[in-house]
Amino acid sequence: MAIWTKIITLFRGAAHEAGTAVVDANAMRILDQEVRDAQNALLRSRDDLAKIMAQRKIANDKLNDKKAKQIEYSNYIREALARENRGLAQEVAVKLAQIEADIATEGKIIGEFDNSISKLQASSRQAETVITRLKQQIDTVKATESVQRAQAALAAQHAGTGAKLGTALDSLERIKQRQVERAAQLEVAEEMAKTTGEDTDLQRRLAQAGIVPGESSADSILARFETPAPKALGHDGVPQLGQANVTSQSS
Amino acid sequence: MNTPWTTESLHEALHSDQSVDLEGIELNLIGGVDTIINIIMHEHGDLAMQMAVSGEQIFVSSPLCLASQVKDRHAFNEACLRLNPVNPLSNLGLQDVGGEDLYIVFGELSSRSPLAAVVEEIHALADNTIQAAEAFADHMK
Repeated sequence: MAIWTKIITLFRGAAHEAGTAVVDANAMRILDQEVRDAQNALLRSRDDLAKIMAQRKIANDKLNDKKAKQIEYSNYIREALARENRGLAQEVAVKLAQIEADIATEGKIIGEFDNSISKLQASSRQAETVITRLKQQIDTVKATESVQRAQAALAAQHAGTGAKLGTALDSLERIKQRQVERAAQLEVAEEMAKTTGEDTDLQRRLAQAGIVPGESSADSILARFETPAPKALGHDGVPQLGQANVTSQSS
Repeated sequence: MNTPWTTESLHEALHSDQSVDLEGIELNLIGGVDTIINIIMHEHGDLAMQMAVSGEQIFVSSPLCLASQVKDRHAFNEACLRLNPVNPLSNLGLQDVGGEDLYIVFGELSSRSPLAAVVEEIHALADNTIQAAEAFADHMK
């Protein structure tokens, strides 16, 4: 039983016809039936095997009986000859001849039984493997088919909207789009950080140059006290505290 | 031997088992003639994958591209066959879906697989599908 050939026939005919089941339902039924038939055949061959083994046992028992008789009759012949009763020995010898012929026949029959048994055992082992594999294949086909039908249904949902069935290509596009967006966000964030950084740097340099008020340092505080109060403020003659004057100047 | 999963019991277990990390994965049981689990991988560009259990098999499939999106089918088929042996855990295939040829990336595992193996398969398949789509970019229209 060529499993692959059987599976391939499942896909014949029905494929490429829009809207129909992907696997030929009829072929699937046939294959299911074949598996059941094969299982029945296997059961039957196991029955046969049991029968043959029973027959072999019976034949073997008979053979053992005959072998016991063979020994017994041989002893009789020896005994009779010892007592010089040749006539009796002759009589027993005729019987022994028959027994020995039976032993030969029985032995041959048992050999044939053994042959059949090993052949049946091998073929049922093989049949078992084939059935197991075929069942696995049918399971796979059925699972695949479920998924295919679902994918077809999903595709049909998109059909009305004019959109195609979403594939990995769309997902890849989305991933790239998201990466671009993320990169853009990152760039903006970086840009902002840089601008803020540049501002800080400029502020620092302006403060250092004394153009904008920077952080108070001992030098700048001392400088405030050392700078003479400007005369052009219009409050001439009014004595003022240097400190208050500086405060108004710097505010 | 543990009991095999069914599509329903697998869906239930994926949702309720605390050990399962489903970060970025959306799972929906879709009924019909055959029940399947529709999986949406949000961290893989919302890639949709379908999973079904039948008897001894779990089948997970992910749509790679439509045949109509391929420039040169012959060259693409060959590229697929060449990539397949080196693509770990997943296979490339071609299926008729609603009258249209669809290239799929798929994985199969035993329906007696532990839940962790199923989750690993889902992640691996999504990774492999996106990587395949990337690798085959030149073959697309």
